[in-house]
Amino acid sequence: MKRGVVLGVVGLLGFAVLLELAPRIGLVPERYAPPTSRILGTLVTQTGEERFWLAVFDTIRTWLLGLAIAVALGVVAGVLIGTVPVLRAATASTIEFLRPIPSVALIPLVVVLWGSTITSTLALVVYASFWQVIVQVLYGVADIDPVAQDTARSFRLGRWHRVRYLVWPTALPYVVTGVRLAATVALILTITGELVVGSPGLGQEIATARASGAVAVMYALIVVTGLFGVAANVLTRAAERRALHWHPSMRAEAVPA
Amino acid sequence: MRRHLAVLLLSATLLASACGSDDDSAGQGQPDKVTVGVIPILDVAPIYLGVEKGFFSKRKIDVSLKQAEGGAAIIPAVVSGQYQFGFSNVVSLLLAHSKNLPVKIVSNGNNSTGVDGEDFAALMVKADSPIKSAADLEGKTVAANTLQNIVDTSVRASVRKAGGDPKKVKFTALPFPEQPAALQSGNVDAVFVVEPFQQAVLADGGRKIASSYVDAAPNLTVAAYFAAQQLIGEKPDLVKRFTDAMQESLSYADSHPDEARKIIGSYTEIAPEVIAKVTLPKWPADVNRDSVQTLADLALEDGLLDEKADVDSLLP
Repeated sequence: MKRGVVLGVVGLLGFAVLLELAPRIGLVPERYAPPTSRILGTLVTQTGEERFWLAVFDTIRTWLLGLAIAVALGVVAGVLIGTVPVLRAATASTIEFLRPIPSVALIPLVVVLWGSTITSTLALVVYASFWQVIVQVLYGVADIDPVAQDTARSFRLGRWHRVRYLVWPTALPYVVTGVRLAATVALILTITGELVVGSPGLGQEIATARASGAVAVMYALIVVTGLFGVAANVLTRAAERRALHWHPSMRAEAVPA
Repeated sequence: MRRHLAVLLLSATLLASACGSDDDSAGQGQPDKVTVGVIPILDVAPIYLGVEKGFFSKRKIDVSLKQAEGGAAIIPAVVSGQYQFGFSNVVSLLLAHSKNLPVKIVSNGNNSTGVDGEDFAALMVKADSPIKSAADLEGKTVAANTLQNIVDTSVRASVRKAGGDPKKVKFTALPFPEQPAALQSGNVDAVFVVEPFQQAVLADGGRKIASSYVDAAPNLTVAAYFAAQQLIGEKPDLVKRFTDAMQESLSYADSHPDEARKIIGSYTEIAPEVIAKVTLPKWPADVNRDSVQTLADLALEDGLLDEKADVDSLLP
Protein backbone atom coordinates (compact mmCIF):
# COMPACT_ATOMS: atom_id res chain seq x y z
CA MET A 1 0.00 0.00 0.00
CA LYS A 2 2.70 2.50 1.08
CA ARG A 3 4.88 1.40 -1.81
CA GLY A 4 1.92 1.90 -4.18
CA VAL A 5 1.39 5.46 -3.00
CA VAL A 6 5.09 6.28 -3.37
CA LEU A 7 5.22 4.85 -6.88
CA GLY A 8 2.02 6.72 -7.79
CA VAL A 9 3.53 10.02 -6.69
CA VAL A 10 6.77 9.27 -8.56
CA GLY A 11 4.77 8.53 -11.70
CA LEU A 12 2.84 11.79 -11.38
CA LEU A 13 6.05 13.77 -10.85
CA GLY A 14 7.63 12.11 -13.87
CA PHE A 15 4.63 13.10 -15.98
CA ALA A 16 4.84 16.69 -14.70
CA VAL A 17 8.55 16.86 -15.53
CA LEU A 18 7.85 15.52 -19.03
CA LEU A 19 5.20 18.22 -19.61
CA GLU A 20 7.61 20.82 -18.22
CA LEU A 21 10.41 19.78 -20.58
CA ALA A 22 8.42 19.24 -23.80
CA PRO A 23 7.71 22.96 -24.38
CA ARG A 24 11.06 24.05 -22.88
CA ILE A 25 13.10 22.11 -25.43
CA GLY A 26 10.76 23.13 -28.25
CA LEU A 27 8.96 19.82 -28.86
CA VAL A 28 5.62 21.63 -28.69
CA PRO A 29 5.04 25.40 -29.05
CA GLU A 30 5.16 26.99 -25.60
CA ARG A 31 2.36 29.42 -26.43
CA TYR A 32 -0.15 26.59 -26.86
CA ALA A 33 1.31 24.07 -24.40
CA PRO A 34 2.72 25.98 -21.43
CA PRO A 35 5.16 24.14 -19.11
CA THR A 36 3.86 22.59 -15.87
CA SER A 37 5.42 25.27 -13.67
CA ARG A 38 3.47 28.03 -15.42
CA ILE A 39 0.22 26.06 -15.27
CA LEU A 40 0.65 25.47 -11.54
CA GLY A 41 1.60 29.12 -11.00
CA THR A 42 -1.59 30.17 -12.81
CA LEU A 43 -3.54 27.72 -10.67
CA VAL A 44 -2.24 29.39 -7.52
CA THR A 45 -3.29 32.80 -8.88
CA GLN A 46 -6.73 31.37 -9.72
CA THR A 47 -7.25 30.14 -6.16
CA GLY A 48 -7.09 33.78 -5.06
CA GLU A 49 -10.18 34.66 -7.10
CA GLU A 50 -13.76 34.47 -5.90
CA ARG A 51 -14.91 33.52 -9.39
CA PHE A 52 -12.80 30.35 -9.27
CA TRP A 53 -14.29 29.17 -5.97
CA LEU A 54 -17.83 29.89 -7.18
CA ALA A 55 -17.13 27.70 -10.21
CA VAL A 56 -15.66 24.95 -8.01
CA PHE A 57 -18.73 25.11 -5.78
CA ASP A 58 -21.13 24.98 -8.75
CA THR A 59 -19.31 21.99 -10.23
CA ILE A 60 -19.23 20.03 -6.96
CA ARG A 61 -22.89 20.78 -6.35
CA THR A 62 -24.02 19.62 -9.81
CA TRP A 63 -21.77 16.58 -9.57
CA LEU A 64 -22.91 15.38 -6.14
CA LEU A 65 -26.56 16.25 -6.70
CA GLY A 66 -26.59 14.40 -10.03
CA LEU A 67 -24.80 11.43 -8.50
CA ALA A 68 -27.19 11.28 -5.53
CA ILE A 69 -30.28 11.40 -7.76
CA ALA A 70 -28.84 8.77 -10.10
CA VAL A 71 -27.87 6.42 -7.25
CA ALA A 72 -31.25 6.76 -5.54
CA LEU A 73 -33.18 6.18 -8.76
CA GLY A 74 -30.83 3.41 -9.87
CA VAL A 75 -31.03 1.45 -6.61
CA VAL A 76 -34.80 1.75 -6.23
CA ALA A 77 -35.51 0.96 -9.89
CA GLY A 78 -32.88 -1.80 -9.95
CA VAL A 79 -34.22 -3.63 -6.88
CA LEU A 80 -37.80 -3.24 -8.09
CA ILE A 81 -37.11 -4.46 -11.63
CA GLY A 82 -34.64 -7.10 -10.49
CA THR A 83 -36.97 -8.74 -7.97
CA VAL A 84 -40.01 -8.83 -10.26
CA PRO A 85 -39.24 -11.24 -13.13
CA VAL A 86 -42.06 -9.88 -15.31
CA LEU A 87 -40.69 -6.33 -15.06
CA ARG A 88 -37.19 -7.58 -15.72
CA ALA A 89 -38.27 -9.34 -18.91
CA ALA A 90 -40.37 -6.38 -20.04
CA THR A 91 -37.65 -3.76 -19.51
CA ALA A 92 -34.49 -5.66 -20.50
CA SER A 93 -34.54 -4.66 -24.17
CA THR A 94 -35.57 -1.06 -23.38
CA ILE A 95 -32.68 -0.71 -20.94
CA GLU A 96 -30.25 -2.12 -23.48
CA PHE A 97 -31.59 0.35 -26.03
CA LEU A 98 -31.43 3.44 -23.79
CA ARG A 99 -28.19 2.62 -21.98
CA PRO A 100 -25.73 3.00 -24.86
CA ILE A 101 -27.15 6.37 -25.98
CA PRO A 102 -24.32 8.78 -25.21
CA SER A 103 -25.49 11.52 -22.87
CA VAL A 104 -23.83 14.15 -25.04
CA ALA A 105 -26.22 13.23 -27.84
CA LEU A 106 -29.01 14.55 -25.61
CA ILE A 107 -27.46 18.02 -25.35
CA PRO A 108 -29.65 19.59 -28.07
CA LEU A 109 -32.74 18.22 -26.32
CA VAL A 110 -31.86 19.48 -22.84
CA VAL A 111 -30.84 22.89 -24.20
CA VAL A 112 -34.25 23.30 -25.83
CA LEU A 113 -35.99 22.11 -22.64
CA TRP A 114 -34.01 24.00 -20.01
CA GLY A 115 -31.52 26.32 -21.74
CA SER A 116 -28.04 26.87 -20.34
CA THR A 117 -29.06 26.00 -16.79
CA ILE A 118 -27.83 23.62 -14.12
CA THR A 119 -31.01 21.59 -14.76
CA SER A 120 -29.75 20.81 -18.27
CA THR A 121 -26.39 19.58 -17.04
CA LEU A 122 -28.05 17.73 -14.18
CA ALA A 123 -30.29 15.86 -16.63
CA LEU A 124 -27.21 14.72 -18.58
CA VAL A 125 -25.39 13.69 -15.41
CA VAL A 126 -28.36 11.75 -14.04
CA TYR A 127 -29.01 10.05 -17.37
CA ALA A 128 -25.41 8.88 -17.78
CA SER A 129 -24.75 7.74 -14.21
CA PHE A 130 -28.19 6.17 -13.71
CA TRP A 131 -27.31 3.32 -16.09
CA GLN A 132 -24.03 2.62 -14.31
CA VAL A 133 -25.95 2.06 -11.09
CA ILE A 134 -29.04 0.24 -12.32
CA VAL A 135 -27.10 -2.29 -14.40
CA GLN A 136 -24.89 -3.15 -11.42
CA VAL A 137 -27.93 -3.45 -9.15
CA LEU A 138 -29.64 -5.75 -11.64
CA TYR A 139 -26.57 -8.00 -11.75
CA GLY A 140 -26.40 -7.93 -7.96
CA VAL A 141 -30.03 -8.90 -7.53
CA ALA A 142 -29.58 -11.72 -10.05
CA ASP A 143 -26.59 -13.01 -8.07
CA ILE A 144 -28.63 -14.14 -5.07
CA ASP A 145 -27.62 -17.60 -3.82
CA PRO A 146 -30.49 -19.99 -4.76
CA VAL A 147 -30.02 -21.93 -1.50
CA ALA A 148 -30.34 -18.72 0.53
CA GLN A 149 -33.34 -17.79 -1.58
CA ASP A 150 -35.00 -21.16 -0.86
CA THR A 151 -34.12 -20.89 2.82
CA ALA A 152 -35.72 -17.45 2.99
CA ARG A 153 -38.77 -18.88 1.30
CA SER A 154 -38.98 -21.86 3.71
CA PHE A 155 -38.84 -19.40 6.61
CA ARG A 156 -41.64 -17.47 4.91
CA LEU A 157 -39.77 -14.17 4.96
CA GLY A 158 -41.96 -11.33 3.75
CA ARG A 159 -41.11 -9.25 0.72
CA TRP A 160 -39.59 -6.43 2.72
CA HIS A 161 -37.51 -8.80 4.87
CA ARG A 162 -36.25 -10.59 1.81
CA VAL A 163 -35.13 -7.30 0.30
CA ARG A 164 -33.51 -6.23 3.57
CA TYR A 165 -31.73 -9.46 4.58
CA LEU A 166 -31.19 -11.26 1.29
CA VAL A 167 -31.31 -8.96 -1.73
CA TRP A 168 -29.57 -5.93 -0.23
CA PRO A 169 -26.50 -7.71 1.26
CA THR A 170 -26.03 -9.65 -1.96
CA ALA A 171 -26.39 -6.60 -4.16
CA LEU A 172 -24.40 -4.20 -1.96
CA PRO A 173 -20.94 -4.95 -3.42
CA TYR A 174 -22.44 -4.40 -6.88
CA VAL A 175 -24.15 -1.19 -5.76
CA VAL A 176 -20.88 0.13 -4.40
CA THR A 177 -19.10 -0.69 -7.66
CA GLY A 178 -21.95 1.05 -9.51
CA VAL A 179 -21.54 4.15 -7.33
CA ARG A 180 -17.80 4.22 -7.94
CA LEU A 181 -18.29 3.98 -11.73
CA ALA A 182 -21.14 6.50 -11.59
CA ALA A 183 -19.04 9.01 -9.62
CA THR A 184 -16.50 9.22 -12.45
CA VAL A 185 -19.13 9.27 -15.18
CA ALA A 186 -21.05 11.97 -13.31
CA LEU A 187 -17.92 14.12 -13.08
CA ILE A 188 -17.22 13.72 -16.79
CA LEU A 189 -20.78 14.70 -17.70
CA THR A 190 -20.80 17.61 -15.25
CA ILE A 191 -17.75 19.14 -16.90
CA THR A 192 -19.00 18.28 -20.40
CA GLY A 193 -22.38 19.85 -19.68
CA GLU A 194 -20.82 23.01 -18.31
CA LEU A 195 -18.42 23.17 -21.23
CA VAL A 196 -20.95 22.60 -24.00
CA VAL A 197 -24.30 23.66 -22.53
CA GLY A 198 -22.74 26.60 -20.69
CA SER A 199 -24.21 26.06 -17.21
CA PRO A 200 -22.11 27.69 -14.48
CA GLY A 201 -19.08 25.81 -13.15
CA LEU A 202 -15.51 24.85 -13.99
CA GLY A 203 -16.46 23.64 -17.47
CA GLN A 204 -17.83 27.06 -18.35
CA GLU A 205 -14.70 28.71 -16.95
CA ILE A 206 -12.62 26.42 -19.18
CA ALA A 207 -14.73 27.48 -22.18
CA THR A 208 -14.31 31.16 -21.25
CA ALA A 209 -10.55 30.79 -20.81
CA ARG A 210 -10.40 29.06 -24.20
CA ALA A 211 -12.47 31.79 -25.87
CA SER A 212 -10.13 34.35 -24.30
CA GLY A 213 -6.97 32.70 -25.56
CA ALA A 214 -5.88 32.30 -21.91
CA VAL A 215 -4.10 29.00 -22.46
CA ALA A 216 -2.43 28.70 -19.03
CA VAL A 217 -5.71 29.44 -17.21
CA MET A 218 -7.44 26.80 -19.31
CA TYR A 219 -4.89 24.12 -18.40
CA ALA A 220 -4.93 25.18 -14.74
CA LEU A 221 -8.70 24.59 -14.63
CA ILE A 222 -8.29 21.26 -16.41
CA VAL A 223 -5.78 20.23 -13.72
CA VAL A 224 -8.46 21.02 -11.11
CA THR A 225 -10.96 18.72 -12.84
CA GLY A 226 -8.28 16.01 -12.85
CA LEU A 227 -7.80 16.46 -9.10
CA PHE A 228 -11.57 16.06 -8.68
CA GLY A 229 -11.37 12.74 -10.48
CA VAL A 230 -8.58 11.51 -8.22
CA ALA A 231 -10.51 12.64 -5.14
CA ALA A 232 -13.64 10.85 -6.38
CA ASN A 233 -11.73 7.61 -6.77
CA VAL A 234 -9.99 7.82 -3.38
CA LEU A 235 -13.22 8.72 -1.55
CA THR A 236 -15.39 6.05 -3.19
CA ARG A 237 -12.71 3.41 -2.52
CA ALA A 238 -12.60 4.41 1.14
CA ALA A 239 -16.40 4.31 1.31
CA GLU A 240 -16.32 0.91 -0.35
CA ARG A 241 -13.98 -0.41 2.32
CA ARG A 242 -16.24 0.92 5.07
CA ALA A 243 -19.54 -0.28 3.62
CA LEU A 244 -18.20 -3.72 2.77
CA HIS A 245 -15.87 -4.35 5.73
CA TRP A 246 -17.73 -7.64 6.36
CA HIS A 247 -17.46 -8.85 2.78
CA PRO A 248 -14.92 -11.61 1.89
CA SER A 249 -13.40 -9.50 -0.90
CA MET A 250 -12.44 -6.84 1.67
CA ARG A 251 -11.09 -9.36 4.19
CA ALA A 252 -8.61 -11.15 2.00
CA GLU A 253 -6.22 -11.78 4.90
CA ALA A 254 -8.95 -13.56 6.92
CA VAL A 255 -9.85 -15.95 4.13
CA PRO A 256 -7.34 -18.78 3.56
CA ALA A 257 -6.39 -18.99 -0.08
CA MET B 1 -36.52 3.94 -15.54
CA ARG B 2 -40.14 4.95 -15.75
CA ARG B 3 -39.77 6.81 -12.50
CA HIS B 4 -36.75 8.47 -13.94
CA LEU B 5 -38.72 9.66 -16.96
CA ALA B 6 -41.59 10.73 -14.76
CA VAL B 7 -39.29 12.86 -12.62
CA LEU B 8 -37.84 14.46 -15.74
CA LEU B 9 -41.29 15.21 -17.12
CA LEU B 10 -42.48 16.51 -13.77
CA SER B 11 -39.53 18.86 -13.40
CA ALA B 12 -40.05 20.00 -16.99
CA THR B 13 -43.66 20.88 -16.23
CA LEU B 14 -42.74 22.63 -12.99
CA LEU B 15 -40.08 24.63 -14.74
CA ALA B 16 -42.37 25.57 -17.57
CA SER B 17 -45.02 26.80 -15.17
CA ALA B 18 -42.43 28.66 -13.12
CA CYS B 19 -41.17 30.39 -16.25
CA GLY B 20 -44.61 31.35 -17.42
CA SER B 21 -45.78 32.84 -14.17
CA ASP B 22 -43.81 36.09 -14.09
CA ASP B 23 -46.31 38.74 -15.06
CA ASP B 24 -45.61 42.00 -16.78
CA SER B 25 -45.47 44.49 -13.95
CA ALA B 26 -43.86 47.24 -15.99
CA GLY B 27 -43.27 50.59 -14.41
CA GLN B 28 -44.96 49.81 -11.12
CA GLY B 29 -42.45 48.82 -8.48
CA GLN B 30 -41.07 45.40 -9.34
CA PRO B 31 -38.39 45.36 -12.07
CA ASP B 32 -38.76 42.88 -14.93
CA LYS B 33 -36.30 40.02 -14.66
CA VAL B 34 -34.78 39.17 -18.02
CA THR B 35 -32.09 36.71 -19.01
CA VAL B 36 -29.86 37.62 -21.93
CA GLY B 37 -27.76 34.99 -23.69
CA VAL B 38 -24.34 36.35 -24.65
CA ILE B 39 -20.97 35.01 -25.78
CA PRO B 40 -17.87 35.80 -23.66
CA ILE B 41 -16.18 37.94 -26.34
CA LEU B 42 -15.30 41.63 -26.80
CA ASP B 43 -18.46 42.35 -28.77
CA VAL B 44 -20.81 42.24 -25.79
CA ALA B 45 -18.86 44.70 -23.62
CA PRO B 46 -21.64 47.36 -23.93
CA ILE B 47 -24.30 45.23 -22.22
CA TYR B 48 -21.94 44.36 -19.33
CA LEU B 49 -21.05 48.04 -19.06
CA GLY B 50 -24.71 49.06 -19.29
CA VAL B 51 -25.67 46.70 -16.47
CA GLU B 52 -22.83 48.05 -14.31
CA LYS B 53 -23.74 51.68 -15.09
CA GLY B 54 -27.38 51.04 -14.18
CA PHE B 55 -28.79 51.80 -17.66
CA PHE B 56 -31.04 48.75 -17.29
CA SER B 57 -32.00 49.03 -13.62
CA LYS B 58 -33.10 52.65 -14.07
CA ARG B 59 -35.55 51.35 -16.70
CA LYS B 60 -36.75 48.70 -14.26
CA ILE B 61 -35.03 45.82 -16.00
CA ASP B 62 -33.13 43.30 -13.89
CA VAL B 63 -30.68 41.75 -16.36
CA SER B 64 -29.00 38.42 -15.79
CA LEU B 65 -26.34 37.64 -18.39
CA LYS B 66 -25.81 33.99 -19.33
CA GLN B 67 -22.70 33.02 -21.23
CA ALA B 68 -23.04 30.45 -23.97
CA GLU B 69 -20.10 29.09 -25.90
CA GLY B 70 -21.52 30.05 -29.26
CA GLY B 71 -24.50 31.78 -30.79
CA ALA B 72 -25.85 28.40 -31.94
CA ALA B 73 -27.14 27.65 -28.44
CA ILE B 74 -28.63 31.11 -27.91
CA ILE B 75 -31.21 31.21 -30.72
CA PRO B 76 -33.08 28.04 -29.59
CA ALA B 77 -32.99 29.26 -25.98
CA VAL B 78 -34.56 32.59 -26.96
CA VAL B 79 -37.17 30.98 -29.21
CA SER B 80 -38.15 28.52 -26.47
CA GLY B 81 -38.45 31.36 -23.95
CA GLN B 82 -35.53 30.32 -21.70
CA TYR B 83 -33.90 33.65 -22.46
CA GLN B 84 -35.81 36.84 -23.19
CA PHE B 85 -33.04 38.31 -25.33
CA GLY B 86 -29.96 36.98 -27.05
CA PHE B 87 -26.86 38.06 -28.91
CA SER B 88 -26.10 36.57 -32.31
CA ASN B 89 -24.39 37.44 -35.56
CA VAL B 90 -26.61 38.80 -38.29
CA VAL B 91 -26.18 35.90 -40.73
CA SER B 92 -27.28 33.36 -38.09
CA LEU B 93 -30.36 35.51 -37.53
CA LEU B 94 -31.03 35.78 -41.28
CA LEU B 95 -30.77 31.99 -41.55
CA ALA B 96 -33.05 31.44 -38.54
CA HIS B 97 -35.52 33.95 -39.95
CA SER B 98 -35.52 32.22 -43.34
CA LYS B 99 -36.39 28.96 -41.55
CA ASN B 100 -39.41 30.75 -40.05
CA LEU B 101 -38.03 30.86 -36.53
CA PRO B 102 -39.86 33.78 -34.87
CA VAL B 103 -36.85 36.00 -34.14
CA LYS B 104 -36.60 39.77 -34.50
CA ILE B 105 -33.68 42.12 -33.94
CA VAL B 106 -34.35 44.59 -31.11
CA SER B 107 -30.99 46.35 -30.86
CA ASN B 108 -27.70 46.76 -32.63
CA GLY B 109 -24.85 44.58 -31.37
CA ASN B 110 -21.51 45.62 -32.79
CA ASN B 111 -20.06 46.80 -36.08
CA SER B 112 -16.76 46.58 -37.89
CA THR B 113 -14.53 49.60 -37.37
CA GLY B 114 -14.97 50.30 -41.08
CA VAL B 115 -11.22 50.89 -41.36
CA ASP B 116 -9.38 48.52 -43.70
CA GLY B 117 -6.44 46.94 -41.90
CA GLU B 118 -7.61 48.07 -38.47
CA ASP B 119 -10.65 45.99 -37.66
CA PHE B 120 -11.34 43.67 -34.72
CA ALA B 121 -11.27 40.75 -37.15
CA ALA B 122 -8.93 39.92 -40.00
CA LEU B 123 -8.10 37.41 -42.69
CA MET B 124 -4.54 36.40 -41.86
CA VAL B 125 -1.69 34.27 -43.19
CA LYS B 126 1.68 33.11 -41.84
CA ALA B 127 4.67 35.45 -42.00
CA ASP B 128 6.40 33.45 -44.77
CA SER B 129 3.22 32.67 -46.75
CA PRO B 130 3.32 33.36 -50.50
CA ILE B 131 -0.29 34.61 -50.25
CA LYS B 132 -0.33 38.38 -50.73
CA SER B 133 -4.01 39.17 -51.19
CA ALA B 134 -7.39 37.50 -50.79
CA ALA B 135 -7.34 36.70 -54.53
CA ASP B 136 -4.40 34.33 -53.93
CA LEU B 137 -6.64 32.15 -51.77
CA GLU B 138 -7.99 30.32 -54.86
CA GLY B 139 -7.31 26.63 -54.28
CA LYS B 140 -6.23 27.31 -50.69
CA THR B 141 -7.85 26.34 -47.39
CA VAL B 142 -9.22 28.98 -45.03
CA ALA B 143 -10.29 28.23 -41.45
CA ALA B 144 -13.68 29.60 -40.42
CA ASN B 145 -15.23 29.15 -36.98
CA THR B 146 -18.50 27.94 -38.53
CA LEU B 147 -19.26 27.09 -42.13
CA GLN B 148 -22.09 28.69 -44.12
CA ASN B 149 -22.18 31.72 -41.87
CA ILE B 150 -20.96 35.29 -41.52
CA VAL B 151 -17.24 34.44 -41.64
CA ASP B 152 -17.11 32.56 -44.94
CA THR B 153 -19.62 35.01 -46.45
CA SER B 154 -17.33 37.93 -45.53
CA VAL B 155 -14.16 36.15 -46.64
CA ARG B 156 -15.79 35.42 -50.02
CA ALA B 157 -16.56 39.15 -50.26
CA SER B 158 -12.86 39.88 -49.73
CA VAL B 159 -11.87 37.38 -52.42
CA ARG B 160 -14.39 38.86 -54.83
CA LYS B 161 -13.20 42.41 -54.10
CA ALA B 162 -9.57 41.39 -54.71
CA GLY B 163 -10.56 39.98 -58.12
CA GLY B 164 -10.51 36.26 -57.22
CA ASP B 165 -13.14 33.56 -57.64
CA PRO B 166 -14.69 32.87 -54.21
CA LYS B 167 -15.97 29.48 -55.39
CA LYS B 168 -12.39 28.22 -55.61
CA VAL B 169 -11.64 28.92 -51.94
CA LYS B 170 -11.97 25.93 -49.61
CA PHE B 171 -13.25 26.47 -46.08
CA THR B 172 -12.69 24.23 -43.12
CA ALA B 173 -14.48 24.54 -39.79
CA LEU B 174 -12.21 25.31 -36.85
CA PRO B 175 -13.07 27.22 -33.67
CA PHE B 176 -11.35 30.61 -33.26
CA PRO B 177 -9.15 29.47 -30.31
CA GLU B 178 -7.59 26.68 -32.41
CA GLN B 179 -6.91 28.80 -35.48
CA PRO B 180 -3.60 30.49 -34.52
CA ALA B 181 -1.97 27.10 -33.80
CA ALA B 182 -3.42 25.56 -36.99
CA LEU B 183 -2.02 28.43 -39.07
CA GLN B 184 1.37 28.16 -37.38
CA SER B 185 1.60 24.40 -37.99
CA GLY B 186 0.51 24.81 -41.62
CA ASN B 187 -2.73 22.84 -41.37
CA VAL B 188 -4.56 25.71 -43.04
CA ASP B 189 -3.31 28.38 -45.45
CA ALA B 190 -5.24 31.28 -43.93
CA VAL B 191 -7.44 31.98 -40.93
CA PHE B 192 -10.20 34.45 -40.23
CA VAL B 193 -9.83 35.42 -36.60
CA VAL B 194 -11.46 37.91 -34.25
CA GLU B 195 -9.83 39.48 -31.20
CA PRO B 196 -8.07 38.36 -29.03
CA PHE B 197 -6.85 35.72 -31.52
CA GLN B 198 -5.85 38.40 -34.02
CA GLN B 199 -3.25 39.43 -31.41
CA ALA B 200 -2.15 35.78 -31.04
CA VAL B 201 -1.56 35.45 -34.81
CA LEU B 202 0.24 38.81 -34.87
CA ALA B 203 2.44 37.64 -31.98
CA ASP B 204 3.36 34.57 -34.08
CA GLY B 205 4.40 36.98 -36.86
CA GLY B 206 1.23 36.53 -38.95
CA ARG B 207 0.12 39.07 -41.57
CA LYS B 208 -3.31 40.57 -42.27
CA ILE B 209 -4.27 40.26 -45.93
CA ALA B 210 -7.81 41.64 -45.68
CA SER B 211 -10.37 43.04 -43.28
CA SER B 212 -13.29 40.93 -44.46
CA TYR B 213 -15.96 42.57 -42.29
CA VAL B 214 -14.92 45.87 -43.86
CA ASP B 215 -14.96 44.36 -47.35
CA ALA B 216 -18.42 42.82 -46.91
CA ALA B 217 -20.21 46.17 -46.42
CA PRO B 218 -19.34 49.67 -45.19
CA ASN B 219 -19.69 49.87 -41.38
CA LEU B 220 -21.12 46.36 -41.32
CA THR B 221 -23.42 45.42 -38.44
CA VAL B 222 -21.82 42.11 -37.46
CA ALA B 223 -24.10 41.06 -34.63
CA ALA B 224 -27.29 42.17 -32.93
CA TYR B 225 -29.50 41.56 -29.90
CA PHE B 226 -32.78 39.84 -30.68
CA ALA B 227 -35.95 38.58 -29.07
CA ALA B 228 -38.70 36.11 -29.93
CA GLN B 229 -41.78 37.51 -31.69
CA GLN B 230 -43.89 36.18 -28.84
CA LEU B 231 -42.18 38.40 -26.27
CA ILE B 232 -42.42 41.42 -28.57
CA GLY B 233 -46.16 40.77 -28.94
CA GLU B 234 -46.79 40.17 -25.24
CA LYS B 235 -44.50 42.73 -23.59
CA PRO B 236 -43.86 45.51 -26.12
CA ASP B 237 -43.11 47.91 -23.27
CA LEU B 238 -40.36 45.71 -21.83
CA VAL B 239 -38.79 45.31 -25.29
CA LYS B 240 -38.92 49.08 -25.82
CA ARG B 241 -37.17 49.71 -22.48
CA PHE B 242 -34.56 47.05 -23.31
CA THR B 243 -33.89 48.69 -26.69
CA ASP B 244 -33.53 52.11 -25.03
CA ALA B 245 -31.15 50.75 -22.40
CA MET B 246 -29.10 49.01 -25.10
CA GLN B 247 -28.86 52.22 -27.13
CA GLU B 248 -27.56 54.09 -24.11
CA SER B 249 -25.12 51.23 -23.33
CA LEU B 250 -23.84 51.07 -26.92
CA SER B 251 -23.28 54.84 -27.12
CA TYR B 252 -21.59 54.86 -23.73
CA ALA B 253 -19.25 51.98 -24.58
CA ASP B 254 -18.42 53.51 -27.95
CA SER B 255 -17.44 56.82 -26.37
CA HIS B 256 -15.65 55.27 -23.35
CA PRO B 257 -13.28 52.67 -24.82
CA ASP B 258 -11.15 52.57 -21.65
CA GLU B 259 -14.13 51.54 -19.55
CA ALA B 260 -15.09 49.01 -22.21
CA ARG B 261 -11.60 47.49 -22.03
CA LYS B 262 -11.84 47.39 -18.25
CA ILE B 263 -15.18 45.55 -18.24
CA ILE B 264 -13.88 43.02 -20.81
CA GLY B 265 -11.35 41.95 -18.19
CA SER B 266 -14.20 41.13 -15.81
CA TYR B 267 -16.14 38.63 -17.94
CA THR B 268 -13.35 37.11 -20.02
CA GLU B 269 -9.98 35.62 -19.09
CA ILE B 270 -8.12 37.69 -21.70
CA ALA B 271 -4.72 38.68 -20.30
CA PRO B 272 -4.56 42.40 -19.30
CA GLU B 273 -1.66 43.12 -21.68
CA VAL B 274 -3.71 41.67 -24.57
CA ILE B 275 -6.82 43.67 -23.60
CA ALA B 276 -4.73 46.84 -23.80
CA LYS B 277 -3.76 46.00 -27.41
CA VAL B 278 -6.93 44.57 -28.98
CA THR B 279 -8.83 46.52 -31.61
CA LEU B 280 -12.34 47.15 -30.28
CA PRO B 281 -15.36 46.92 -32.56
CA LYS B 282 -17.57 49.98 -33.11
CA TRP B 283 -20.78 50.14 -31.12
CA PRO B 284 -23.26 52.42 -32.97
CA ALA B 285 -26.66 52.74 -31.30
CA ASP B 286 -28.60 51.69 -34.39
CA VAL B 287 -28.45 48.75 -36.79
CA ASN B 288 -26.90 49.59 -40.13
CA ARG B 289 -29.87 48.44 -42.23
CA ASP B 290 -28.08 48.71 -45.56
CA SER B 291 -25.29 46.43 -44.34
CA VAL B 292 -27.80 43.80 -43.22
CA GLN B 293 -29.40 43.96 -46.68
CA THR B 294 -25.96 43.57 -48.27
CA LEU B 295 -25.23 40.53 -46.08
CA ALA B 296 -28.61 39.04 -47.05
CA ASP B 297 -27.80 39.57 -50.74
CA LEU B 298 -24.35 37.98 -50.30
CA ALA B 299 -25.87 35.04 -48.42
CA LEU B 300 -28.31 34.53 -51.29
CA GLU B 301 -25.52 34.76 -53.87
CA ASP B 302 -23.34 32.25 -51.95
CA GLY B 303 -26.24 29.85 -51.55
CA LEU B 304 -26.68 30.12 -47.77
CA LEU B 305 -30.23 31.31 -48.34
CA ASP B 306 -32.58 29.65 -50.82
CA GLU B 307 -34.69 32.70 -51.45
CA LYS B 308 -34.50 36.44 -50.95
CA ALA B 309 -34.60 37.32 -47.25
CA ASP B 310 -37.30 39.62 -45.90
CA VAL B 311 -34.83 41.87 -44.14
CA ASP B 312 -37.42 44.44 -43.06
CA SER B 313 -39.37 41.95 -40.99
CA LEU B 314 -36.21 40.87 -39.17
CA LEU B 315 -35.07 44.41 -38.38
CA PRO B 316 -36.74 46.59 -35.74
